[in-house]
Parts: sequence; structure tokens; C-alpha cells
Amino acid sequence: MNRKKLLPIFFSLIAAVVLLLGIGPALPSGTAGLSAVSAEGEDAAPAAGEKKKLVMGTSPDYPPYENVDAKNNGEIVGMDIDIAKYITGRLGYELEIASMDFNGLIAALQTGRVDFVMSAMSATDERRQNVDFSDIYYVARNTIVSKKDAPLATLESLSGKRVGAQLGSTQDLFAETIEGAELKKLNKIPDLIQELNSGRIDAAIVEDAVAIEMTSANPGLVMNFLPAESDENGYAIAFPKNSPIVGDFNGILAEMNENGKMDDIVQTWFPDGEEKEARGLNIDFSVLKGYIPFILKGVYVTLLFTLVSALFGLIWGSILSLFKISGIKPLEWFATAYTSVFRGTPLLVQLTLIYYATPQLIHYEIPALMAAGLAFGLNSAAYLSETIRGGIMAVDKGQREAAIALGVPYRKMMVRIIFPQALRNILPALVNECVALLKESSLVSVIGVTELMRRADVVRSIEFRSFEVLLFVAAIYYVLVLILTSFARMLERRLRRSD
Amino acid sequence: MINVTDLTKSFGKNEVLKGISTTVEKGEVVALIGPSGSGKSTFLRCLNLLETPTSGTITIDGTAITDPKTDIARVRQRIGMVFQHFHLFPHMTVLDNITFAPTQVKGIPLAEAQARAKELLARVGLSDKADSFPSRLSGGQKQRVAIARSLAMEPDIMLFDEPTSALDPEMVKEVLNVIRGLAGGGMTMLIVTHEMKFAREAADTIYFMDDGRLVERTKPEQFFAKPQSDRAARFLEQVL
Repeated sequence: MNRKKLLPIFFSLIAAVVLLLGIGPALPSGTAGLSAVSAEGEDAAPAAGEKKKLVMGTSPDYPPYENVDAKNNGEIVGMDIDIAKYITGRLGYELEIASMDFNGLIAALQTGRVDFVMSAMSATDERRQNVDFSDIYYVARNTIVSKKDAPLATLESLSGKRVGAQLGSTQDLFAETIEGAELKKLNKIPDLIQELNSGRIDAAIVEDAVAIEMTSANPGLVMNFLPAESDENGYAIAFPKNSPIVGDFNGILAEMNENGKMDDIVQTWFPDGEEKEARGLNIDFSVLKGYIPFILKGVYVTLLFTLVSALFGLIWGSILSLFKISGIKPLEWFATAYTSVFRGTPLLVQLTLIYYATPQLIHYEIPALMAAGLAFGLNSAAYLSETIRGGIMAVDKGQREAAIALGVPYRKMMVRIIFPQALRNILPALVNECVALLKESSLVSVIGVTELMRRADVVRSIEFRSFEVLLFVAAIYYVLVLILTSFARMLERRLRRSD
Repeated sequence: MINVTDLTKSFGKNEVLKGISTTVEKGEVVALIGPSGSGKSTFLRCLNLLETPTSGTITIDGTAITDPKTDIARVRQRIGMVFQHFHLFPHMTVLDNITFAPTQVKGIPLAEAQARAKELLARVGLSDKADSFPSRLSGGQKQRVAIARSLAMEPDIMLFDEPTSALDPEMVKEVLNVIRGLAGGGMTMLIVTHEMKFAREAADTIYFMDDGRLVERTKPEQFFAKPQSDRAARFLEQVL
């Protein structure tokens, strides 16, 4: 009798199993199979040609090549963007810009999420194994940035020092060749500045344009240019393997070099002798001026994300907790295994897997926000299913007996009698989970969702100042948590009015 | 009306009911008495299948409820049950407690169910408590609401599992009066109780149980004047 009523639950079980099985095979296919990836590139390119739209991937935290124009309308601007606009315009394509983390750009090309990448990316041999490059369009000089009171000018002087570089960048590769230096790889340029200022590294290797901005925003730092490297370290446009549009792009690049268009664009973004006004050493919140509306817009994304993942987690967690107490062995095993896997692996890994594996497995271009909501919901459901199970077990057995004796069907009994009482028991735990979700939402900035933390990173990368922005978003998070907590208190009072 | 044949119930190796057979007529009021652990409550809970019998059959109006093909939920709608610890739904008002099952199980319109609930509340003397939450009520009031909640499903049979055992002494009477009123109205009832005076006055038949067996089944006047078995005599000696 009761089993029949669990039939709809079976369907969701099947759906979940399909999802889980789907994620499984992603593990090998993500790292292996160059041939499969390149075949996909071939498929994608003609389709893109038909719709006359090209999607460009870029990591907009690297001015003046690309950054978010946060003070104005939040558009992505920079030298790379101007070049891309010019080329696609000349070839008759419409240009769409997709913002993502630098470390995810190659994966985005391989999965066909973007048609090409311009992100001050050097055409290294390692990268050439996975993607195709255009001709070099710009060669940057590597530069040593160090503290003014302990300046380091030459490669030789770096021996025995702690040297920082941005993970995955050309300077990262270059820094590995420095003899005797202890290398520290960080995700972002602003992180390098903080590490320099706090004395945890002695020098950072960055490229010339970045060094100029870093030193002008931080008067305590000095820079020393290194001799220009060979052409192989220059910047080039990256394409999926065997992309048919490489030739077209090269044609326009050559044309730009001839007619002086390239020099014009470079001049716009590298003005000679411009010096930013030196700021004080300490915290100066006037840096935030002009960025506040941009950052505050992230609140909406953060809240939306928290709400979606909390709701999804609560519903799916409730279903899982019902599985666990159903007395039907396969359902119990499934729910227990599910909880074990999702609790036992890092959320960041789940998030990245879902975001990058979904397009390859089911050919659905999962939007970043949806991938994030899904990953956090699935993860939070694992924790909540245990909390809810505890809440249900804590409801007096007599409640169930009274409902059964009245002839109330199982589903109605759970929904109307048991759950409301369980919910009341576990409300404090639920609030904890929501607060955790709200704060952990800052993790999703890694896949490019423009929530609060991502926006803070954007501002950090433009201003080359960190503390002001970080303190500001910390305050916003704190206020959001306070508001959430007071809502929860109101809800709890309402639920407890029967006491 | 209720036919029980060779009913047994074991919890693991512990045999709680050791073969009970009896018949309860329509309108009969049965008081189940006996020492604790004798199987009274288990017997009662088998009648609406809150406990699944290990063997034996139970037939209600010709329907074998122990048959796995029988729709148990429908049978339970005809059998009201009142528990020692009331088991009111704490997150609902008194009125919602009473209207929940009629509206959700039988599909009776809310207005109709509420009107009926108010009649029932008047009958148990709690008209003024309709909008209170159970936590605001005394034990006796809670038990009267629980009785009203069961009656709202218009059952043919009422089972009472020690309805006054959890109450303070001064509240026992108000609950017993309500049950007595029901007995007068012709309801078929089985009551597990330790209230000997009440059993003597209100019951048509006394079932004396001991060690999982129905030892004696007699009229109250005869049982209390001269019990047939030694065990019953010893039990009465202890409680009276």
C-alpha cells in the first residue's frame, strides 16, 4: 500500500541516478581523448559560422588587456577586446564576450563553450598541445616588481628569494626557470600585491603593463623590466584544435600590422608616461568611489543564488531523508551512498565538475549560475537530508500513530503532521545551513558568476588595492547574514506560537 | 460485530498475545482490565492494526481486516482510537485538530467539518477552546479534544487505551463522564482501564487478561462480586 505511494519518488530517484552516472564518466573524459575534443571543435565551428556570432572567452582581471569597466556600465573593455572587435567586425561576425577565470579558458575552448580566447594568453608549447594559436599580436616584457626598500633588479638577484607569479600565466612558466628562486603561485595579480606588501614574497614576476599599474597604485613598490623574450612568449589568439577560422584571423592581424591599426589600439591602452596619483600606504576607502553600485549589484546575484540552492537543497534533502526512513532497502542505500559521496568530496570540485562536464556529457550549455545552484543544492541536500532525518525521528511516535489511527494517508501524514513539527525542531540547523550557503556562495566566483566576491575581485584587479574592497564586501556579507538571521527569528517565533 | 479468532502477537521471541478469541456485539461496552504487561494494550492496538497480528483473524462486520487485500485505511476510518498520551497535533489549533482528518481523509468541506467540530466541542464541554493550541490545555481538556477528534470521523467503534492513566486525579472524572456519555449513546467501545469503579458502572462486559490470555469474560457485577479465576481474585485484592 505504502509502496505504491512512493512511486513518484522512484522517478526522482531514477533521475538522480542518471545524473550521478553522468558525472562519473566525466572524470576520465575530462583529461583524456584529444581526438574526441578536436572532433567536437570541428562540429562547433561551422555551426558558429552559420549563426554569424563568435563567442570570445576572456578573464577580465588583467588591465589594460581586459578588465571590467566597473565605474561605468560594467562592460568588459581593454586592448584585447578592441582587437577582437576589429577582427570580428572585419570578418562580418557578431562578437559575444564570455567572462571566466583564466584557468578555465582552455577548458572552455575544448568544450566548445567559446569559439576563441583572447586574454593576454601566450602561445606556449604546452598550450599548443590542446589548442591552436593565431600569429602573435603583442609581445610583453617580463618585469620584476619588488618593495622599494628591498629592490631586486636582475634575474641573478632573485636567487634564494621567494618569487610570486600568477598561476597559469606566462610569467609563471618563466619564473620556474629562475635559478635558486622559491616559487609561489597565486591565482590573481592583486594577491601578488598583498603577498609583496605583507612580506611573504620578495618579488613578483609580472608583465610590463601590469607592473606599471601595480607600482602606480602602490607607491611602496618598484619595477625593473627584464629584456624582451623571444617571440614565442608573445600573446596570440587561441582557438579549438583545427578551427577553420584561424586563417581568417591571421589575415586580419597581418592587415592591422600593416595599416597601423594595431599600433593605434596599443597606443590607446599603453599611454606613455602616465602616472597615477600616489596614494597613502594605509587603508583608503575613497578607492571604492564609483565602484559601489557595481559591487552592490552583486548582492542580488548572491541572494538569488542562495535562495535557489537553499530551496533546491531543502526539497531534495527532504526526499533523501524520506528515502532513508522508507524501509525500502535500495532507496536507503542510494540515499546513504549519495550523502557519503557529496559530503565526502570538496564542494569546489563538485562545482567545477558540474560546470565543465555537463556541456560535454549532455550537450547542454549549462549557465554558470544554474551550475552553481545545482552544485550547491546537491551538496547542501546531502547535509540537510541528515538534519531532516534527525528532525523527523525526533517527532513523537504517537503523532504518527494518531494520524494512522485517523486513516490519514502516508503522504498527507508526512507533509501535514510530521514535517511541520520536524521543521520546527531543525529550524536553527536550517538557518545555519542558509548562512553557510550565503557565505560559501563566494566560491562560485571561480566559474565566473558575477556575485559579490567576483565583483570584489574585479575591482581589486583594476585598482590593485585589496583591503578596502575586501572589507567592504565582508561588511555586505555580514549585513546579509544579520538580515537572514532576523528573518529566521521571525519565522521561528511564528512556528512556536503553538507553544 | 468484531470477531477475533486465535489472535497471537509476538515481538521477536516475546509472545505478548497467546491466542485470543472473542466476539464483541454492536453497542457493547467492554472494559479490559488486568495487570500491566498482560497484553491489554497490544490486543487493542491489533484491532486497528497499529500492531500487525502474528497469526489469527480479526473480522469487523464480516470484513477480515487481517486479510492483506483489505484496504486498511478505510477500516481505520471506522475505528476511532484514543491514546493514553492524547497525541494531539501540537502545531494545530483545537479546531484544526478536529477538522483535519474529516477534510483531508473524507473530503468533507471545511465549513461543514468546522460546524460538526463545534458541535463535538460543545458535547465534550470545550466550546471556548476552539482556537487554542493544545499546549494551552490541561491534560483532561486535551483528552476530551482527542475524543472529539476521533468522533469527528464518525466511527462505529471506539478504542480507548488507558485514557485516564496520564491524568492528574482531579481530571479523571471529566474524561470518564464523556466516555460514559458515549456508552449511553450506543457506541461499540473497548476500554483499557485501571479505573475499577468506572469499569463496573459503565461496562457491559469485563475482559480480564493475564499473561497474554483472555482469562475471564463476564458481566461486571459477577466479576467484581466473585471472580471465577484465582488470578482475577488476586488482582482485585491488590487494586481494590
